[in-house]
Amino acid sequence: MNDASKNETMTFKEQLLEYDRKFRETGCYAGITELKYREDDPLRYESLHTKLRSMTIAAREMARSISASPGVREVGEMVVALYTPEGDAISLSTGIMVHVHTMSRFIKWMIQNGYEESPGICPGDIFANNDAFIGTVQVPDVMVVVPIFYEGELVGWAGTVAHELEVGGITPGGDVYLAQERFTEGLFVTAEKVGYNDELRRDYLIRLERNLRMPIYWMFDDKAKVAANLELRDQVKELIDDVGLDYYKRATREFIEEGRRAQLSRVKQLMVPGRYRGHTFYGHLTEGKPGILPLSDGNLLYSIPLELEVNGDGQMHLDFEGTGSWGYHSMNCTPAGMDGGLFVTLTQSMNYEGKVNDGAWLATDMNLPLGTWTNPDRHTVATATSWALLLPAFGIFQRLLSRGFVSRGFKEEAFVGQVNSPMVEMGGQSQYGDQFGMALFECSAAGSGALGIKDGIDTGYVGWNPESDMGNMEVWEQGIPMLYLGRNITADSGGPGRHRGGTSFTSTWLVHNTDELTIATSEHSSRVFDNAGMCGGYPAPTAHRHFTVRNSNIQQIIDEQKPLPHELGNDPYKSDMERLVEGDMNVIEGPHIDKPLQSGDLFAHSYNGGGGYGDPIERDPLEIVRDVENGYVTAEIAERTHAVVLNHDKERNAWHVDEDATASLRKKTRNGRLNKAVPVEEWIESERERVLERDFVTEVRKMYQDTMGISSRFNEEFREFWRLPKDFVM
Amino acid sequence: MASYNHDTVRDLIDGRLPWQSTRSIMSQYKDDDRFFKYIDILQERVTFNDPILLPIGEHLYIVAKQGEPQGERVVKCGCGYEFGHYTQNWKLKAAINVRDEEEEIAEIYPGRHSYDPDWMEIREFICPGCATLLEVEAAAPGYPIVFDFLPDLETFYRDWLGQELPAETR
Repeated sequence: MNDASKNETMTFKEQLLEYDRKFRETGCYAGITELKYREDDPLRYESLHTKLRSMTIAAREMARSISASPGVREVGEMVVALYTPEGDAISLSTGIMVHVHTMSRFIKWMIQNGYEESPGICPGDIFANNDAFIGTVQVPDVMVVVPIFYEGELVGWAGTVAHELEVGGITPGGDVYLAQERFTEGLFVTAEKVGYNDELRRDYLIRLERNLRMPIYWMFDDKAKVAANLELRDQVKELIDDVGLDYYKRATREFIEEGRRAQLSRVKQLMVPGRYRGHTFYGHLTEGKPGILPLSDGNLLYSIPLELEVNGDGQMHLDFEGTGSWGYHSMNCTPAGMDGGLFVTLTQSMNYEGKVNDGAWLATDMNLPLGTWTNPDRHTVATATSWALLLPAFGIFQRLLSRGFVSRGFKEEAFVGQVNSPMVEMGGQSQYGDQFGMALFECSAAGSGALGIKDGIDTGYVGWNPESDMGNMEVWEQGIPMLYLGRNITADSGGPGRHRGGTSFTSTWLVHNTDELTIATSEHSSRVFDNAGMCGGYPAPTAHRHFTVRNSNIQQIIDEQKPLPHELGNDPYKSDMERLVEGDMNVIEGPHIDKPLQSGDLFAHSYNGGGGYGDPIERDPLEIVRDVENGYVTAEIAERTHAVVLNHDKERNAWHVDEDATASLRKKTRNGRLNKAVPVEEWIESERERVLERDFVTEVRKMYQDTMGISSRFNEEFREFWRLPKDFVM
Repeated sequence: MASYNHDTVRDLIDGRLPWQSTRSIMSQYKDDDRFFKYIDILQERVTFNDPILLPIGEHLYIVAKQGEPQGERVVKCGCGYEFGHYTQNWKLKAAINVRDEEEEIAEIYPGRHSYDPDWMEIREFICPGCATLLEVEAAAPGYPIVFDFLPDLETFYRDWLGQELPAETR
């Protein structure tokens, strides 16, 4: 092949630029206008792809058993991938599908920045990165890559990412909530050569050992990542021995071009061309919380609008114009992170047939306005909890795609989407008397949004890891100085709808055997929904209150064998903590930042459910009976929101539908809706007055000032919608 | 290529097909003849005879009007209520109920499940004809009503479906 001989005389950088040029000129990846190998011998071609994919999966499974971290072992927070020499993804394992193009950016960045000359890219080298401005999502997503050389030629890269549970930031854990700038996010490894001769450098390991609260997780995970990469590298080389280098090089590039074409075809098969729009919001409460740095201690409201344009050729264009500026908080995101959000949603909604690779990235593009949280214009901006805004943003994307699926008739693919997964991060003194730090990854089991044909998944889904698992309580108890009093379904946590959103759960803990436990939770939207319903379904409530009891009488309760608080309970106005325990009760709104807890204190944390689909009063009453009997929905919400009247048979503890009363209530509800509602045009007239008077609380007004200032399009549309004078300013 | 009969598609979109069958369909290659079967099923359910061109939500359809002006592409609810031309946001012709007071919020989001009405409101878009809840927006007060979907009907019919799109008279 010409490609092979040509590459020998080119630098890696020249090679990368050459492939970019070929794409620009032909519109096809690497200038591949015909899938020759696929057409000539599809069996040989598919067999190669299957082998490469199974190698990545096998490498991941092997590495998981090497890792020390429950995040990787229990939850599966890891992915292994194979790249071309220029850094384009060929094949990925299962796991965190976020990183198809994030690692790609990392590899390309090293090539573009002359790493071939210094520090050199040689056989046996190991490179690592967790800098999101180079190519990852957030500090804890530490990626490790190794070059694959075959007979002296760079033929690819093996890469692995795992989410680390502790990164040594200003607050303990991986998602460093209190970081306001890069300088407080923790330990950065910025596209560094961290090993050679297939071994991690000792000085690198010493750096990890001395800069992390719980170095064992990152250190052992890195060893697991290296092992996965070496395993994949050696297997790929053996495979090249079998199929020949020329075949390998051409076929792997055809996979990517095929991935690009498949993405365009799938859009044309499942969607309808046109313009789709949606939005969501995110509320951030920091005002007055202990530990907030002086750069910004105000509350914030973000609006996240998304426009999706589906073109006639199947190309999708996502546009985040109209969202807010980056800020001095940890929730900003980089373009690499946005790529991560795009891929993890695409692989679940469209790109699910196995050839997940950079081809889909080439068939999709995004407008990330410079200076917004999606694309900060300086690299010192903190991104440690970028998922806080990223997940809601790509939840909108899922709903926009779903609108297309519903229109096209593929209702079974319609999915109301992902929700945020608030995380408990902690550190201090462990139950063994040592220093520790830990991200508790049970948040991997939120409720999902509803589907177009059925309810959402209960306590078993998050957007960022399609293979998520909350992990056993006993495993988490080994790592944290807290004992579980309970893990319970949170009734009414799914958004109501004909198909309700998946419900989530609440964990309740007794702090155990420690004098100092610092908890800093993250990724909570406060006061507003950061998700939505669809086609008449409602958003899921946002879980944003933490319950603590200090100086509790828990020991007395245990001694007297009285009921323990295993959950918050079904009374939304008074929790079981308040009902059953005495002590200093505190309900903290938003992220939990407070003075440390100690043995005998109690803590409860709730996760989010998903949004609903369809009008709730169209829900089958028998499904409501099942919901109420199993604790997913309370009888009060069944009646008020779904208009279903239930009778409780106390003797058998069973619920029955009163069909006549239900029919009558549903009729009454419909009539009531029309009696209360006003024509939209009338409502707009009255709201217009409010807008003209700028009659909004500070956070809402600031949000408009920011978005109207940074986006002329939003400014124009806002003024046009409310028919405001041209000189109107918020 | 996969293809399913009318009853199977009907049960599938209604969520009444056994889960194993649904899952099997979801894992298969998609049935390319789905769209017009879907339209046929939906057409049987609506109260009007105007041909459905494109569903844009539950109970919401872009149709080609049989009455005057003939062929005009308007948005209709399944009950027949008309929301105007599809290039205009149908929500502007709907009825709205905004939940921004404690008592109304608590009907759906009581106690610790509630949101802050100073920061957010729930907007319920209701069909003035049959009182079906067609869409719910969760938005900050003052946020413009979103126009969910403006399809490119010409490209869809001509290039993607390979079918003639009935012409509009004006």
